[in-house]
Amino acid sequence: MATVQVSEAEKVYILHGIRDDLRVDGRGCEDYRHMEIETDVVSNTDGSAKVTLGHTAVLVGVKAEIGKPRPMIPNEGYLEFFVDCSANATPEFEGRGGEELGTNLSNVLYKVFSNKHSLDLHSLSISPGEHCWVLYVDVLLLQCDGNLYDAISIAIKAALFNTKIPRVNITSDDEGGKEIELSDDPYDCMRVNVENVPCIVTLCKVGHRHVVDATLQEKACSVASLIIAVTHNGTITCSRKVGGGSLDPESIFEMTETGKRVGKALHAPLMKLLQQEESLSKKRVRVGFLC
Amino acid sequence: MPTDTKRVRGPDVSQSPVLLGYKPAAVLASRGPREDGRQRDQVDVRPVFVRCGLVSQAKGSAYIEAGNTKLISCVYGPRETDRKDETDMKSGRLTTDVRFAPFSCPERVPWIQGSQDKDLSLMLHESLQPAVCLQRYPRSQIDVSVMVLENSGSALAHAVTCASLALADAGIEMYDLVLGCSLQQVGSSYVVDPSYLEENGWRCNSSESRGGLTVAFLPSLNQISGLQSDGEMSEETLTAGVRTCIEGCYKLYPVIQKVLTKAVRRAAPPST
Amino acid sequence: MSPMKLCVPGESLCSEGDCNPGAGVYLRHGYIYSSLAGFVLKTTEGEKLPVISVVRETEAQLLPDVGAIVTCKVTSTNPRFAKVHILYVGSTPLKDRFRGTIRKEDVRATEKDKVEIYKSFRTGDIVLAKVISLGDIQSNYLLTTAENELGVVVAHSEAGAQMIPISWCEMQCPLTHAKEFRKVARVQPEYLEA
Repeated sequence: MATVQVSEAEKVYILHGIRDDLRVDGRGCEDYRHMEIETDVVSNTDGSAKVTLGHTAVLVGVKAEIGKPRPMIPNEGYLEFFVDCSANATPEFEGRGGEELGTNLSNVLYKVFSNKHSLDLHSLSISPGEHCWVLYVDVLLLQCDGNLYDAISIAIKAALFNTKIPRVNITSDDEGGKEIELSDDPYDCMRVNVENVPCIVTLCKVGHRHVVDATLQEKACSVASLIIAVTHNGTITCSRKVGGGSLDPESIFEMTETGKRVGKALHAPLMKLLQQEESLSKKRVRVGFLC
Repeated sequence: MPTDTKRVRGPDVSQSPVLLGYKPAAVLASRGPREDGRQRDQVDVRPVFVRCGLVSQAKGSAYIEAGNTKLISCVYGPRETDRKDETDMKSGRLTTDVRFAPFSCPERVPWIQGSQDKDLSLMLHESLQPAVCLQRYPRSQIDVSVMVLENSGSALAHAVTCASLALADAGIEMYDLVLGCSLQQVGSSYVVDPSYLEENGWRCNSSESRGGLTVAFLPSLNQISGLQSDGEMSEETLTAGVRTCIEGCYKLYPVIQKVLTKAVRRAAPPST
Repeated sequence: MSPMKLCVPGESLCSEGDCNPGAGVYLRHGYIYSSLAGFVLKTTEGEKLPVISVVRETEAQLLPDVGAIVTCKVTSTNPRFAKVHILYVGSTPLKDRFRGTIRKEDVRATEKDKVEIYKSFRTGDIVLAKVISLGDIQSNYLLTTAENELGVVVAHSEAGAQMIPISWCEMQCPLTHAKEFRKVARVQPEYLEA
């Protein structure tokens, strides 16, 4: 992750501020930075979204392709995640520098979605054992200013909400083989239900308190963080401790409770916002990448 | 993705015979006693067999066997860092490497490190780092490598325990031993130290929510150094699960202590 | 000798007021904890508090520290410095070699600018040196032989025989009687066998 050097005096300043529930930029310990979400930014994908959280910018593109289902689970489709840390974000990511971070992020995403209820994979199946929809979710990090997990998970939720998968008909041709027909109408498509898609909340332990949405400076003062993926009804799908320090069991329980509370509160406004944006459709002013 | 070019794997369309004979196992009972006779909803970890100092070439090594899960861990170092640009003047570096032997799981695992291995290596690194006194080894590197010989459930938890034993056997200064314990939650009951089937049988099983949890714990300092969970759990079950895993670690602690003292005593006492 | 107590890392040994911490232990919240798996050793020195430390049968891996006397082997020479592999720290052999550098100006204490590395060390010599610095990320450990007791202890002549030191700057081969220049270490009288 792009790192900043923080002096001892700055660390003490940040620590004391957080102890009094006042962070450097004036937020409280559980407040997010200004977040901007825009969907349907890339026209070549089946669904896309761009999320800007403070100075962190993430772009997600979803492409649906027809593939063969996994041998062990013949009647479900699946998702493939790939995170690319572009050299735009920081020069450390040039060449193969960002590969390790990208692999770690992808692994966490696989874990977050590795349960039955996040996404209805049965609806992605076309004909069991032979064809299914594979959703390739590609994440591109444009700018990196801390809190990547949260931004990526919100972007994935928005992109999946925006994904339009064409409807297919299976017809059997003369020799008994199956043929796949895509419907001609570009608006005849299937949407993915993203009700249960979890959002990740990262909590950094700074001093004796924990903060949500830490900037890079705050991250440099913390020893360890906890990532929690929370769904809209409070179920935790994945949690993980990252960082080189150790945590008290009591702090972990406190952080889990905070994470669940913050995560739960994130879903309702997000869905409302996405539906509102959808309803604007052609009339809305596309902001794109210019700000 | 680097591919293994040295082994001939057969044509791409070939499938393992396991898949053809695969029948979703008789739905694993989520009530009643477990397959190997242990109790459900109780902290019933498998009895472990541990030995230190097996690999003579390594600075420190340890072997752990829990049920059918077998792991071996070796520690080399402190030695000079391989890459000059990663030398840290104030503290040492810890590198971890977890590998599965190709014959360790029911399906053959490719030799090249896949993403699962890298994930486990990262988890092991995060679990061990708080425990090792790295600032006493500036400019050096300590290599920990764990090889899973047979994976019969909760490989990560036992890898953590094995690696910390190997570090202690190597004479690396540590703040405390690190013990690992894992748990699988099925609906409203849980099983501690799950076997391979209990861990992976969720795909064919019912609609009950499942979740798995692995905790790495420092018993003397009462700190959690590693936590990973997946599946679906509510906050209360997660909290209760963490407490159960901590209890499981405490159960393991006396055994590990005894093994270490036996290993030190075997290498005769120093003449003063 | 009474059987000594064994301990594992993280075990609480005693409180800070009772003993002073030695090697292999660490302080936390006013208690002394062990950081190694080994035997607990309590040594008393006169009036002061006893020193508690944990020892293992194999001496804990020592890293070359500033001021330590190390034994090293010369691997390559250059008009400006000699590169060495550090083999022993004090009398403890190291399991892995560390790299060191002896710069031209650190070979001798006097007439530093007239030093020629070729006349002080050759590849394959065993040298006693002292660590002056851990160096930085790019360089290796910096060593010095600028004392009478430091310098070449074992060297082989061009003919292949082990040479005998005859003065602080010369060694002689017993087979060919040829003299070669080295910066020789003056071995302490107590280490010489009659």
